Amino acid sequence: MEAAVRVDRLEKTLGPNKVLRGISLEARSGEIFGLLGPNGAGKTTTLRVICTLLGPDAGSVDVLGFDTRTQPEEVRRRVGVVTAEIGVYPRLSARENIAYFAELSGIRDGEVSRRVDTVIERLDMGSFAKQRAESLSSGQKQKVAIARAIVHDPPVLMFDEPTSNLDVLASREIRDFMVESKGRGKCVIFSTHVLHDAERLCDRVTIIHEGRVVAGGPTAEVRGRYQDLEDAFLSLVEAAR
Amino acid sequence: MKAGAIVFRKEMREILRDRRTLIAIGLAALATPLVLFVISQVSTRTVAQAYTVGYTGTMPAGLDVLFNATGLNLKLVDDPAEAAKQQVDIGIVFSDKGLDEYYDPTRQSAQIADIRLQAILSKYDAAKVAASLQAKGVDPSVLNPLPVSVHPLSSPAQAAGNSFLSFFLPYILITMSLTGGLSAALDTSAGERERKTLESLLLTPAPRGNILIGKILAVSVISLVAAIAAITSMLIALSQISFGVSQGEPAHIGLSPLAAGVMIWLAVLLAASFASLTIALGTLARNFRQGQAYATPLYFITIFPASIVLFIPDFNPSLAYYLIPILNAVLVLRDVIVHGTVAWTALAVTTLSLVVTGAVCFYAALRLFTREALLVRS
Repeated sequence: MEAAVRVDRLEKTLGPNKVLRGISLEARSGEIFGLLGPNGAGKTTTLRVICTLLGPDAGSVDVLGFDTRTQPEEVRRRVGVVTAEIGVYPRLSARENIAYFAELSGIRDGEVSRRVDTVIERLDMGSFAKQRAESLSSGQKQKVAIARAIVHDPPVLMFDEPTSNLDVLASREIRDFMVESKGRGKCVIFSTHVLHDAERLCDRVTIIHEGRVVAGGPTAEVRGRYQDLEDAFLSLVEAAR
Repeated sequence: MKAGAIVFRKEMREILRDRRTLIAIGLAALATPLVLFVISQVSTRTVAQAYTVGYTGTMPAGLDVLFNATGLNLKLVDDPAEAAKQQVDIGIVFSDKGLDEYYDPTRQSAQIADIRLQAILSKYDAAKVAASLQAKGVDPSVLNPLPVSVHPLSSPAQAAGNSFLSFFLPYILITMSLTGGLSAALDTSAGERERKTLESLLLTPAPRGNILIGKILAVSVISLVAAIAAITSMLIALSQISFGVSQGEPAHIGLSPLAAGVMIWLAVLLAASFASLTIALGTLARNFRQGQAYATPLYFITIFPASIVLFIPDFNPSLAYYLIPILNAVLVLRDVIVHGTVAWTALAVTTLSLVVTGAVCFYAALRLFTREALLVRS
């Protein structure tokens, strides 16, 4: 299957720290791709380079054939990102928050309202869509954050530790949403250090440690002879030290 | 530019729902008339206020009438010099040799009483000399060999009004152009980082320059509205306050259509520059409070040029001074208010200077808004 996201020998330095030291990976459409690693391994920086928030120092990244360095706006049209930071505009309603991002994503004027209604229905947000965001619960705000990331129907979805601030129910909904998106043929990249989630959800994983890839491939293959992915992960990280 | 319009619309919607900004604009519009009302009440009271003169000795005949007519109340005291320290406003000792005056210049009431006393004594001296000359058969007009008739080209009341306006109008225009949109500017820059919405915004395909233009336009509009609201309320208040009498009628201050037009033009230029500058400073800050700390020095920097008209009323600068941002706006406004005409060359230089300042501020804001550190630091 053709890679939707291709990262090749990516390097990135932030301040005095060399955060990425030659990361390479490929994520495909119709799969959940796990980006695993301990805190500070470089997962978030990798995702930020993929979605063009940061530029690569060396190496290359392309998303559906568009280079992040030369065609960043085309890349951003095709990517939706959900992070643990569920910042929303407090004085706008949930619906206005989503509509704002729909308009900025280039959806035609006549289409915005229909697309917003569709995501509100899909994420079951009807009961609070007209409420100001400042009065929403964390779970409701997370839904707004997901809605604004998918309102332009991007073929690539990236989730960066999306459940770290959520309760059990809200976390479950996020996981279900990732599975549903995979079923719709999206390329879902899931960055997490919760290996239990990764093992259940991911078709393929890449484990990174201190800015380098230490293992990658189908989840079952990476787990290999170990009892579970956590044991494999600990063993691989230990070996890389 | 469509993205700019989308951002502008959203920012305006948020600003109009933000109580902080609306209260700031409302208070500014209300505060100016209130301050003017207090000033006018104090100045009216000062004019009508009577002051006390403590004296000893024998007062020359007829002088007491002049004292009473000029709002100076006479009071017999034992020691005028001691009494002038606190008990009365001025102390006077009448003796055969003349008059000894005691007053404390650090007391404002003593200063005003002294001015009135000098006026009384001048009149008294002139009347006495004229009476003596007449008694000796000499025409008193010999003391005034060159009589002067003064014909002011505008009423003194109007001049006082213009002088007042030439200070206050630029002052309010500049401070409101800065502070009226400050809260909105920090909210849309530092606030965006603090709320963690910046990353999502920059993830949209909208060009960052267009996003920034939308934000600057929204803040400019709010600054402009705040400045014009404050000035309009000031002019309405001034129309109710009399600045003396002109041609038998109470004189009020008004703004000519020409001055109003120049003021609005300068307000637009200042608002756009300040919006870019405050957004740039807000982009440097991690949160709203830090943004406020960065913006505080701006108050002093901007108020200083406005004060120059107060401290140097006859400041007639060369054209080069009109290149200095903010000071140039103050000078152009002063010229149009005091002289009633526009020095078009000065206005053109001022416009050029403020447009260049705005462009530099926009470029700085754009550089700050597009740097990677913006996201890494947050």
